[in-house]
Amino acid sequence: MLELHGLGLRFGAHQVLEGVDLRVRAGERIGLLGPSGAGKSALLRLACGLQKPSCGTVRNGFSRTVLLFQEPRLLPWRTVGDNLALPLRAGGMAPGTAHAQALQWLERVELPAHTALAWPRELSGGMAQRAALARALAMEPDLLLLDEPFSALDPALRRRMADLCVAVLAESGAALLCVSHHPQELACMVQRCLEVRGARLRPWDAGASPFPTTAQEPTP
Amino acid sequence: MMRAPTLRTSRAWAAAGLAAILLAWHVTAGYLGPLLMATPQEAVLAIGPLVESGRFYPAAATSLGRAFVGIGTGCLCGFVLGLAAAAHPRLRGALEPLRWLLMAIPSVVVVLLAMLWFGLGSSMVVFLAALMTAPGLYVNTVKGMLQVDRQLLEMTHVYRFGFWLRLRHLYIPALTAPLSAALLIAVNGGIRLVVMAEVLGADSGVGHALANARATFDSAELYAWVLLILAFVGVLELALIQPLQRTLGRWQELRDA
Repeated sequence: MLELHGLGLRFGAHQVLEGVDLRVRAGERIGLLGPSGAGKSALLRLACGLQKPSCGTVRNGFSRTVLLFQEPRLLPWRTVGDNLALPLRAGGMAPGTAHAQALQWLERVELPAHTALAWPRELSGGMAQRAALARALAMEPDLLLLDEPFSALDPALRRRMADLCVAVLAESGAALLCVSHHPQELACMVQRCLEVRGARLRPWDAGASPFPTTAQEPTP
Repeated sequence: MMRAPTLRTSRAWAAAGLAAILLAWHVTAGYLGPLLMATPQEAVLAIGPLVESGRFYPAAATSLGRAFVGIGTGCLCGFVLGLAAAAHPRLRGALEPLRWLLMAIPSVVVVLLAMLWFGLGSSMVVFLAALMTAPGLYVNTVKGMLQVDRQLLEMTHVYRFGFWLRLRHLYIPALTAPLSAALLIAVNGGIRLVVMAEVLGADSGVGHALANARATFDSAELYAWVLLILAFVGVLELALIQPLQRTLGRWQELRDA
């Protein structure tokens, strides 16, 4: 379980997040909505330990937490195949097996096999984003943090990639915390939605939402 | 429309630059006379007898050995200390005065001091080459490490890259540009230092042979040695450093494709 309690983040005079309480259990899929600069991405960075909170606590009981950044963040000096295989090798997988896995995942995100030999700068924005998604899913995370993962994709592809994520997560019983500007994008992915507004985590407005919501996370 | 700068150096213009240098040398040699400066032709003709004389190979082997050990040690120390200093600001602060001292002190002063400490010979030359090449590698390693893309660094944390994987696949490729420039300067500068140290305080090696040629006013042999040193540095750059730069920077060449 991921447990955020009384979490606050401040950059100088700017209070980014305040009093955030959130629990994410195994198999749960939660959407995070909110305007630009509301602190959604910061919340994901806090959750995976890339950012230290100004106050509060983060307890992450998941062993394989993977954050898919807004940008693809592929190593420009390694081929796409290497970019997918290296995290697997970091986890102890043999190079040959890691590259075979990389090819399988490229196929699953609808990239042709020869993409493995391409340099990242040869890919379009959408292809790079799918390669980054393949890299994240190949890790078989038990908590997947997605930060606007499909922003560079066309609507049809966006839907197919969302379905792929849900299918993979449902199969493994992994949890999901997904940030987006678009409620429609989250509709097919998450079980409930929360909104970051005014530095606080609030329930998503049920009246404006086309998908199920829950109230604010209970405090422990 | 503004064109992006190309990464390749024009060979034709490099040849034109070389021709200009040879012409200037020829004109200057004609003006100074054969006692002070041999012409390019005289220097080239003196190479054959020099190589066949039996003095060339021992001197070249001695100098090469010293250069290899000295420059190699200096580069390795500079690189390792640079990695450590980039990761630890306190160590960086502690090393800053030494870095400044070594970069500011004239090489000839260090030669004189090394001659006092080590006497004449290989130890002094190797010490000098190592000491004077290390700061360049150190500075470029630190600067390069501090400029590594923070986003990629975060990515390697998320995917739990270990130290060696991060070093091999993030830091070293990111350091290619500053390190290859530093390596080029270290090799060229290191060889100059080795020869200078041998001229001033060694009883063997290319520098010692140069000093002998100067003492006997044999300007053709003196310039033949100079040409051989230049040829060696050129071969080293073309056969070793430039291919290494191209291999490590292959992904960047897409820009030119």
